[in-house]
Amino acid sequence: MNVKRERIEIVIAGLIIGVIASLLVFFGNPANMGFCIACFLRDTAGGLGLHRAAAVQYIRPEIIGLVLGSFGVALIKKEFSAKGGSAPVTRFVLGFFVMIGCLMFLGCPFRMILRLAGGDLNALLGLLGFVLGILAGVFFLKRGYSLKRTYAQSKLDGVIFPVIQVVVFILLVAAPAFIFFTEAGGGPGAKHAAIAISLIAGLIVGALAQRTRLCMVGGIRDVVLFREPKLLMGFGAILVSALICNLILTAVTGTSFFHLGFAEQPIAHTDGLWNCLGMLLVGFGCVLLGGCPLRQLVLSGEGNSDSAVTVLGLIAGAAFAHNFGLASSANGPTGAGKIAVIVGIVVVALIACLNTFKKK
Amino acid sequence: MDADLYQVTYIITFFSHFGAVRYKQLCCEEGISCRMMPVPRDLSSSCGTCVRCEDSYLPPTDACAEEIEQIAAWDGRQYTTLYHTDESEG
Repeated sequence: MNVKRERIEIVIAGLIIGVIASLLVFFGNPANMGFCIACFLRDTAGGLGLHRAAAVQYIRPEIIGLVLGSFGVALIKKEFSAKGGSAPVTRFVLGFFVMIGCLMFLGCPFRMILRLAGGDLNALLGLLGFVLGILAGVFFLKRGYSLKRTYAQSKLDGVIFPVIQVVVFILLVAAPAFIFFTEAGGGPGAKHAAIAISLIAGLIVGALAQRTRLCMVGGIRDVVLFREPKLLMGFGAILVSALICNLILTAVTGTSFFHLGFAEQPIAHTDGLWNCLGMLLVGFGCVLLGGCPLRQLVLSGEGNSDSAVTVLGLIAGAAFAHNFGLASSANGPTGAGKIAVIVGIVVVALIACLNTFKKK
Repeated sequence: MDADLYQVTYIITFFSHFGAVRYKQLCCEEGISCRMMPVPRDLSSSCGTCVRCEDSYLPPTDACAEEIEQIAAWDGRQYTTLYHTDESEG
């Protein structure tokens, strides 16, 4: 129970991850989007043709790297454990609506931090909603919310998701005609670092996140539940290092990696209410899932098939969001997106109630 | 130096957060001093909730056995596993 050592490790990991995220923008990723699990799953869904929003179609190697980095370290450390069976369909639905919330805000909790590190103050409203959503989830956790326990599964069940990542990576490199790529200048999907750089970045972050159990939701949840700030310190370390790295890059390159304010932020809108409500849905759903989208990817690499199903829910949510006009844009949220977020909050609240008060 | 160094404490991990909540309630009913906390990294890569008992712990009985994943004793330097659910592949 060396809490001090765990805190030092997660802060170091957070500092490294923040630098990597900032550098990915330097190497070509969209601004304030060195990493965004929601955006990258959305882009990957587009690359696979699951939606036809031409501006956001690219199989992101960072996602592949995150899963395989976690998988590799879990194998080496003998922590790979195939398990699942804890309400997979419920988790799929929660994942689906978490993505709807992310695409209302235009970013996952990870990108929320990176947006703050880039000076985007709209993310403060997102952070407010995120905290409120986590508090709502903790309310149910304290009253006995449970999706029931996991059980050991066959090794094959745990390995399939990492194997799928390898197949998707081959599709990215081989680029057959049925894989979609955003045309140059056609939108965020066209902005990306070189494949090798993105993959290595994903592998490193996946490995670090597996070792430290880094989780954006867990940080605030553990402070509220246990007064334990360890995970939150990782969260803070990413913010600090990405901010410093952005300022250094701005000074060195002459290109703006930091722009303080609300207006004209990259891939963001200024509707504070819906930034807040979108992230409220994300925080609420993620507490019920037991971790943020980054954590779900890492757990899926460790052999957790429930988390793999959650990731599939996130991907399905992304595809729906772009097929039915639910995702926001720089112009702001859409009417359909607002309805979807409200529906999402209601559905997540229902799932919370039914798994808290109905049965024991 | 860690205040726990010479006092054995018991860490009980669970398959769900709810398992920890219920176990803590059972401990309180038995007068066992305990509190909930995040699972130590050395014990698991999972980020769930565990229960830390100071002097004694509630052994896995019918009331809580299914939710308990493992029980470990911490002597200030290392963990000794006292109980671990035996699960074969499904």
